[in-house]
Amino acid sequence: MTESRTPVPRSRGAPSPESPRTATIRLRPPANRVERRAIAWWAMRAAVFALIPCGAAGIAYAVVEQAREWLGPPLVVAVATGILLTAVTPWIRYAVHRWETTEEAVYARSGWWVREWRAAPISRIQTVDTLRGPFAQLLGLSTLVVTTASARGAVRIGGLDTAVADEEAERLTEITRRTPGDRT
Amino acid sequence: MTAEAGPADRTEGQDSAREKAQAQRPWLRLDKRLIAVDLVQLVAAQLPTLVAVAVFDVPPTLESLWPVVIIAGIGVATSVNNIVRWIKTRYRVTEEYVERRTGLFVRRYRSVRRDRIRSVDSQANLRMRVAGLRVVYFGAGQQNTAGEQALSLNAVSKKTAQRLRRELTGAGEEPAGTEPDGDVFARVRYRWVVYNIFNVWAYAAAVGLLVSAFVLATTFGIDLWGPAARVFDPDVLGWGGAVALALPAVGAVGVGSLAVSFFTGYWKFTLSRVTTDGGTVLRTRQGLLRTREVNRDDARLRGAKLTEPLLWRWMGLTETSVITTGLSVWSDAPVILPRGPRSVARQVVDRVLGEEERPLDAGLARHPAGALRRRLLWASLFTGTVVAGTAWSGAMTDAVGPDAWWITAVVLGPVALLLALAAYRALGHAVAGAYLVMRSGMMSRGTAALRRHAVSGVAVRQSLLQRRMGLASVTVTTAAGEGAYEALDMAVDDALSFAADGPPGILEPFLVREGPRNR
Repeated sequence: MTESRTPVPRSRGAPSPESPRTATIRLRPPANRVERRAIAWWAMRAAVFALIPCGAAGIAYAVVEQAREWLGPPLVVAVATGILLTAVTPWIRYAVHRWETTEEAVYARSGWWVREWRAAPISRIQTVDTLRGPFAQLLGLSTLVVTTASARGAVRIGGLDTAVADEEAERLTEITRRTPGDRT
Repeated sequence: MTAEAGPADRTEGQDSAREKAQAQRPWLRLDKRLIAVDLVQLVAAQLPTLVAVAVFDVPPTLESLWPVVIIAGIGVATSVNNIVRWIKTRYRVTEEYVERRTGLFVRRYRSVRRDRIRSVDSQANLRMRVAGLRVVYFGAGQQNTAGEQALSLNAVSKKTAQRLRRELTGAGEEPAGTEPDGDVFARVRYRWVVYNIFNVWAYAAAVGLLVSAFVLATTFGIDLWGPAARVFDPDVLGWGGAVALALPAVGAVGVGSLAVSFFTGYWKFTLSRVTTDGGTVLRTRQGLLRTREVNRDDARLRGAKLTEPLLWRWMGLTETSVITTGLSVWSDAPVILPRGPRSVARQVVDRVLGEEERPLDAGLARHPAGALRRRLLWASLFTGTVVAGTAWSGAMTDAVGPDAWWITAVVLGPVALLLALAAYRALGHAVAGAYLVMRSGMMSRGTAALRRHAVSGVAVRQSLLQRRMGLASVTVTTAAGEGAYEALDMAVDDALSFAADGPPGILEPFLVREGPRNR
């Protein structure tokens, strides 16, 4: 994990929550980057995600002769989008995804097209889980999932080293146990 | 995690230790009268078949009798199911838990800790009321968005239902058959029926009603189709005339049935705040044939929401619900007022929330022009995609005519742009005293007032497009209601102050505060 604090470069003056135009407050980026091998993880997931529609359209194109006449352009668009998603978005994600846990809260930045800064206070945490999908296991990565009483309030931090995620989960569980709060 | 505190489903025999410790309390059966009600229902379900054969001389074959046979079959199935449930269900209330065992093939044991029970509500349909029975629902805090009751007993006697509610929620004793005491916030006004009957569901209700009427009448040898076809004869009226006559006629049937369901559903509807031993509850009582009483613990109240779909909005109508933990948003338990005028709804919400600084009276901040541009852009992109698709399939296939693309553009374009404008005008947000107020929605505008202290997480979101337009959205998550409420497309500066100062302190460790910058 790289402990760098370089802020995101301000792109062409367009205001973001980390570089607002006139506000006297701004969000700072979370302290930690995720693992570099998360790029491979995201690429694998994007590839699988893209393969499903592309594969279906490809098979239809190969098998159903009547469909060829009109299926060509959608197939080309689907394959091009899939390749773009697989090749480009993991690198953007690596630049964006950052995380941080303190004694008071969990804080994460994520997304590639939609950026999201998400925070949940320790006093509201209900469960801390780690999650490992097949690709993540291959790469030794884990996702830390911190849920609150809200069904839609989970903070998910993907692309962590398994050891780091386990250690962090244990630490958060311990802090949560010590912190009073009604969890709702 | 408080897994053991919530309702737990286990198969038999996993926690015998605790069971032994509490074995002194007897296990109780559901009320015996359930069987009597069932037998009556069982006989009643056979009546249509008997009447059809005996009175109307319908030949006793499956081809002619199938609709009434289905009715009889459903009657038998539900009766058998009810009797099996009566035989196999036991429940008890111990010092710590409410427990229930049930199930014929899969034995289920379910327990809910008593201090987790937030509401004890009862319901009864007509035959249960005649027999003095009530279905009792226990609601626990953990379920907030899971869409499931913690535990239900179907059915116990009215007396037992009242005793359970007293015992478990500390609600005071009430003389039977009187109006609810306490502060009455609203009663139904029966003229509101007009607001509740004119909608598209009228047609759905009418079609259901008419189809079953035709099918049943056919079974009894009465031909309704012939007279109907003569009245709406396309050869006499022409197709346009027949449709022009039939649509209002069907609509009238639907409106009529919705009116009936409004009156039976909201009969004697009262919303009141009742003081109990354990605090105060917000209580609604309603119903003519099927009575329903819902008690919502005020300690769990986190806010209120007005829901105004497009057409009602123009008529100044709204639906009113509370934002509270422990009630499923998928049921209508959070709804505290039938659809009615916005002015009444706002007064009721003000009294329900009981705030000096009324959240719904707060002036909502307008959102920047970028929010409108974003909506117009999406509307144009949507229209463009559909038009391009139509043009392409017009050129490549015979599915649509060659003129279809510009007709689509002329029809779809203005509608999409107007909806974009409506969606923009719906946007608004404010921090009002102890509440956050967020308003948005294209087809259905929702105004949510949420207690700031109920917020359990914050997310600031910004797409690359929003960034170009200087916008950002804020989502606050909470244990209550829908789980998350959004303030969409604010100027980045506003989004930051809303996210930082609205939900107290959550983002504070991650903010950099500095002097005003000049750029």
